Amino acid sequence: MTEVEMRTVTFILNGKSTTVKVDPEKPLLWVLREDLGLTGTKYGCGMAICGCCTVHLEGDAVRSCVTPMSRVEGKRVTTIEGLSHDFSHPVQRAWMELQVPQCGYCQPGQMMSAACLLAQNPKPADTDIAEAMSGNLCRCGTYQRVRKAIHLAASLLIERGVAE
Amino acid sequence: MSSERVARRFFLTASLAAGGGLLLGYSIGSDSGLNKVFAAANPENAPSVTDIPLNAWVRIAPNDEVTLISSQSEMGQGVMTTLPAVLAEELGADWSRVKIEFSTVAPAYRNPRINWQFTGNSESTTGFFELLRSMGASAREMLIAAAAKRWSVPAGELYADSGRIIHRPTKRFLKFGDLAEDAARITPSQNPGLKAQSDWKLLGKSLPRVELKSKLNGTAIFGLDFIVPGMVYAAVMQSPVHGGDVSSFDKNSVINLSGVIDVVPVPNGVAVVANQYWQARQALRSLKVSFAGGASSEISSESLDKQYRAALAGDSWKTVKSEGDALREADIRGKFSDLYSQQYESQFMAHATMEPMNCTAHVTDDSCIVWGPLQGPELAKLTLSGMFKLPPERVTINRTLLGGGFGRRLLVDFVVQAAVISKAVGKPVKVIWSREEDMQHDVYRPATLHRITAGLDKAGKPLAIAHQLVSPSVLQYVYPPAVTDDNDPTCLEGLMETHYELPSQRVDFKLLKVGVPTSVLRTTGYGPNIFAVESFIDELAGKAKQDPYEFRRSLLKDERSLKVLEALADKSDWKRKPGKGVARGLAYTEAFRTHIAHAVELSVNNNLVKIHRITCVIDCGIALDPEITRNSIEGGTVWGLGVAFKSNITFKNGRTVESNFHDYQIAQMDETPPIEVHIVNSSTKGLGGTGEVGPVTLVPAVANAIFAATGKRYRSLPLSRHGLRLAAVG
Repeated sequence: MTEVEMRTVTFILNGKSTTVKVDPEKPLLWVLREDLGLTGTKYGCGMAICGCCTVHLEGDAVRSCVTPMSRVEGKRVTTIEGLSHDFSHPVQRAWMELQVPQCGYCQPGQMMSAACLLAQNPKPADTDIAEAMSGNLCRCGTYQRVRKAIHLAASLLIERGVAE
Repeated sequence: MSSERVARRFFLTASLAAGGGLLLGYSIGSDSGLNKVFAAANPENAPSVTDIPLNAWVRIAPNDEVTLISSQSEMGQGVMTTLPAVLAEELGADWSRVKIEFSTVAPAYRNPRINWQFTGNSESTTGFFELLRSMGASAREMLIAAAAKRWSVPAGELYADSGRIIHRPTKRFLKFGDLAEDAARITPSQNPGLKAQSDWKLLGKSLPRVELKSKLNGTAIFGLDFIVPGMVYAAVMQSPVHGGDVSSFDKNSVINLSGVIDVVPVPNGVAVVANQYWQARQALRSLKVSFAGGASSEISSESLDKQYRAALAGDSWKTVKSEGDALREADIRGKFSDLYSQQYESQFMAHATMEPMNCTAHVTDDSCIVWGPLQGPELAKLTLSGMFKLPPERVTINRTLLGGGFGRRLLVDFVVQAAVISKAVGKPVKVIWSREEDMQHDVYRPATLHRITAGLDKAGKPLAIAHQLVSPSVLQYVYPPAVTDDNDPTCLEGLMETHYELPSQRVDFKLLKVGVPTSVLRTTGYGPNIFAVESFIDELAGKAKQDPYEFRRSLLKDERSLKVLEALADKSDWKRKPGKGVARGLAYTEAFRTHIAHAVELSVNNNLVKIHRITCVIDCGIALDPEITRNSIEGGTVWGLGVAFKSNITFKNGRTVESNFHDYQIAQMDETPPIEVHIVNSSTKGLGGTGEVGPVTLVPAVANAIFAATGKRYRSLPLSRHGLRLAAVG
């Protein structure tokens, strides 16, 4: 009665098959942080308002703080740790070039939302960026740099496309 | 080179580091008021003021690595980059071989001006600039002296560059690491020659942030991320009524839940401890607990409002500034036929750092170790050594990166919780506040109420201004020695040092005691005070039928003020008429020793305010790292949009009403217009801070622009009170 029923959940985390035995209601955020030791994904609000905990689930940006593990079974999950191994992702390159972060706490979420936007819309207008990014709060107020960096990442994507 | 020598309030010491290498440190011999306060409260644990410790700021290792050991915490303001750059510049170090570590707590790491170890007050760079230049220059002279001795050549033939001491005539060189041990035996000069600014290679240029990469791949370690082997987690619930406490709780209601280890009382609350945080958090929801007490259970925003208004209507003011005739409000009313008087209000605000309060501690019978995102490590150390009756050397405070500070992390309530819980369960513990706990148990930026009254000449020029301010304390918890029964100097910031030249100036203050906790928050006194002052000046300009820019110019004589204001007019195209339906507003001030002005272009339709463009000019002396400076001012400007339009803490039945980002709102991406930041460099004398100044002029510039657009003057914040909303840009 008092013991939560644990369930085995298998999913693809940053390209690797991963199995955890957890409370199926436990949010992905806390499983990533406490069960799998991936602390790049941050807790900010616990109710999908601030975006600090954004990860990709099957390529979509989701708020891991409200994503129960029961929804993750068999799915592909990408976290900030899985964006690239060598800072080669255009979002990382652009963030580096424009020195976007201040405190940096919200930036994994910002970057995961941006990467998802660019995957779905490789040349976003400011209005697309506003729509995709307004759920990612930044208390340091780096929005202008985030916006510029998304445009820069879009141009890096095009360059990469041309190079390939 | 060596063209500039600075006077110092500290003296340099040197010693050999364990394992070889040069250590440089500094110490302050004098006592501070703060020591006395804590000594009185806690005689066993006041820091000894007779010690002259040999703490190290600078380490040069045999492998040539230069390490700066920083007392300043990194919370986004860039100290991990700029402080080592200051040091490396004077030292002639190889920038790629400079590292930074966070210091422990010791007198040698205190801010030299205040003699207290903290990160805040926009002083984390400016407060250590002189010190680190001297440290670097002195170390360079020691290395040069060591090389001169080794080669038997005059020191004048040697110079430092890229981590080497070079003999100019022969181009021979020795690396820093080869010289460090000899250098450490040389008595450091008390007055080392400093590099000329024209010779700077690192300062004044933009460097990549030292910790940048770690913030792009998830490896940056904030307090929330720090792990101690064997640690357990705690979720806390504090009395919802401010000042209340737990009256009872039933441990059995949760002890059998998955992962739960214990339920532990903490000051004003209770903590559930579990193997994992999620377990603790879930169990806390099932905990049977009741709260009682709290002197403030009747307090509401309405009752506070009444209290403020009664204070403003009453007498017994403390006069804190008198210049010229220093006419009081009543004098002005008696003396001038032409006068103008208005009231302004700023709201209570929460810090709402993106990283909620958290701390990790391991307390045993004879030691206490803390790891956390802290701005106030010295206060933490004093408090914990007192609580646990441990000698200070048995209390170790370690700092992680901070996911925002804004003054909240100067306090140590969350540190105490972690320590109390760890002691109770006999394990290392990380306590994490939920967002709701964080918002409802913040220590808020106090609301303020102002009345400003001006006596005018026939042309509408002010001849006398009397400013009356009602505010609760800002510094009471973080720097108690500065606060008296009727005064708190931080509340007065921006009113004492105004640059407007008027024959008669007076500031009267009433320090209000309120039943809700108030403390330091980004912009401190400057924010509310400059909102009032710059709104009022704008109103006077309107009354005089003058352009707000020209009106301000006519009242300013200070060269830096005028230069910043004129640069703003230029960069914002002030003299060109804005587009149809678009209006402009501006504001200027000096705050945190930086001169700043904002111009805002906006349009208003059906109370929906669309901001088209924001221009900002600052003079912070010299921007030591222009990109970090710009980023900080851009961010401060965005923060200001939240202050102006959205962020508002209210109270009901002694509790904070707002609980998360749905009802305590901050500015978002879609509301952020293009922001231009222009830097005017004046002089290295008197560097200004840039971490807090950004919102200060943005807020009144917005209100002034809305007046220009609509003819309506809004004198209380946030503007959402008046039905105004911030529209999406673009």
